Amino acid sequence: MSVAAITILCVAGLLALIFARVPIAIALAGTGLLGYAALDGWAKALKMFGVVPFQLASAYSLSVVPLFILMGAVASRGNMAKELFEASNAVFSGIRGALANATIGSCAMFGAICGSSIATAATFSKVAIPEMRRHGYDSAFAAGAVASAGTLAVLIPPSVLLAIYSIVAEESLPKLYAAAFVPGILLAALHVVAVFVVARVRPDRVPRVAAMKLAARLRAAVGMWKLGILFFFAVFGIYLGWFSPTEAAAAAAFVAIVIAFATGAMGWRELVDALLETAYTTAAIFFIVVGAFIFSRFIVLTQFPNVLAQWVLAAGVRPVSIMLVVIALYFLLGTFLDEVSTILITVPVTLPMVNGIGFDGIWFGIFVTVMCTIGLISPPTGMTVFAIQAQHPEIPVTRIYLGTLPFLAADFVLVGLLIAAPSLVAWLPSLLGM
Amino acid sequence: MTRLRAFAAKLCGWVAGACVAAMMLLTVVDIVLRALASKPIPGVFEIVELLLACSFFLALPATFLRDEHIVVDMIDGMAPRQVPLLKRISAALGVAVLALMAWQGWIAAKDSLIFGDVTFDLSLSRIIYWIPVLAGMIVAALAALVMAASSDADRRKDDA
Repeated sequence: MSVAAITILCVAGLLALIFARVPIAIALAGTGLLGYAALDGWAKALKMFGVVPFQLASAYSLSVVPLFILMGAVASRGNMAKELFEASNAVFSGIRGALANATIGSCAMFGAICGSSIATAATFSKVAIPEMRRHGYDSAFAAGAVASAGTLAVLIPPSVLLAIYSIVAEESLPKLYAAAFVPGILLAALHVVAVFVVARVRPDRVPRVAAMKLAARLRAAVGMWKLGILFFFAVFGIYLGWFSPTEAAAAAAFVAIVIAFATGAMGWRELVDALLETAYTTAAIFFIVVGAFIFSRFIVLTQFPNVLAQWVLAAGVRPVSIMLVVIALYFLLGTFLDEVSTILITVPVTLPMVNGIGFDGIWFGIFVTVMCTIGLISPPTGMTVFAIQAQHPEIPVTRIYLGTLPFLAADFVLVGLLIAAPSLVAWLPSLLGM
Repeated sequence: MTRLRAFAAKLCGWVAGACVAAMMLLTVVDIVLRALASKPIPGVFEIVELLLACSFFLALPATFLRDEHIVVDMIDGMAPRQVPLLKRISAALGVAVLALMAWQGWIAAKDSLIFGDVTFDLSLSRIIYWIPVLAGMIVAALAALVMAASSDADRRKDDA
């Protein structure tokens, strides 16, 4: 059988298994093993199958993942979300759409620390949606705002997704974090613009709320201090040269625990729960990483990524056309695959092709992550939408999807900006001399 | 059976969680010692790597026992009656994948022991790193076997 036929069979088999509800990790590992054996014989394939999990399990660069997850698990138990929402509301108070913008601002900051879009959306659906509905906001718009703002978590540093991308693409994590800053803040700003547009077109959906007094605004704004400290340790500590990414994650997780205990927001029981959640989440992610590395060993053996990149260059396809295909691919995958799997499965194939048309691995990491934020709110399996629906079963899922549309448009505006002006990504890393 | 499964999952989670906590504390102590006394903990990278292997692999059986794998569950809405069967088939595939990994890992670990592989800084035998990896794989394979053999009623009890 030819290499092409084996590749097509294995990719088709992988998709069939994934749609048959087989865990993604097992589907990747199984098809990767079979494909590798078909190309290079069972002896080498089995040897690779036994060694890859060991190599990954003791890879120091992966230690950043459980530590950032722990920091997020502690932050989401430490009452930080409500205080942050009140602080953000104080900042935007008095303008039309203030509560929706407060949701976006607080989700951006909380999500940066929490790292999980689903956890951020679930947390803020309890805090922000009742408040918006109480003030007469349209339920669909309120839920859509939270679902969309929750997705900022995967882009704004420190992001677990970028940490995983850095491992699969062999790119510097500090550089990726620096590169994600401007697009992350820009995306949050575009979401704010989306709120203003909706407020202008449909003011009945976004009523004006009375402004807070200055003293009350200042008091509420102080509520940001906890996340400010965590952000300082988790991100700025790296650029000040104090910590490596793993050390920053460990220091920030430790400081999160100290703050949560010192403010009485957390006890030993909650700490044990946070550690359990960290262990369970890490194991599920790690198993997919193992499966994806086994599958990517097979893909590398096929030389498909290089052949594809060379074919694209030789065919003289315009870079814009290639990027449109890549956008369509990630949009499609985002409708049914989770963001970790999307990155682990596709990057070994798409990165060489995108490199071939002049985009570097750092830019592509940010681009793919933005595409993942779109997948998180795209039907039929927008995960943050489901997280909100689970908390507010009275809001139909189709209405939540409708509520996300203005923000989906904002996401695509950012995708266009990234392609038109790649310097948005490169600017901060070059300013920092990276 | 259901209670035993839940306890086994928690036990795996506790041990793995303790390893994450140890990883965090060790790294923080290393940072503090390095900053205040210019005396970092020798071989801290290697200990963190060992704890990492423990946390990943010792929590893996819990992923099976808690049925918490990342899956695409679009079929749940289309063919809900087939879902219990698909779950059992998935668990059986999990047994096969993990058993193969453990078998090949065992062979690689034996080679490592024969060649006397050690770490760079602390000269720890590499076999110490293989132990949690193999233990996790074998227990996870057993956990997957339990899930493959579990009836739909058992699973529903778990979900409740």
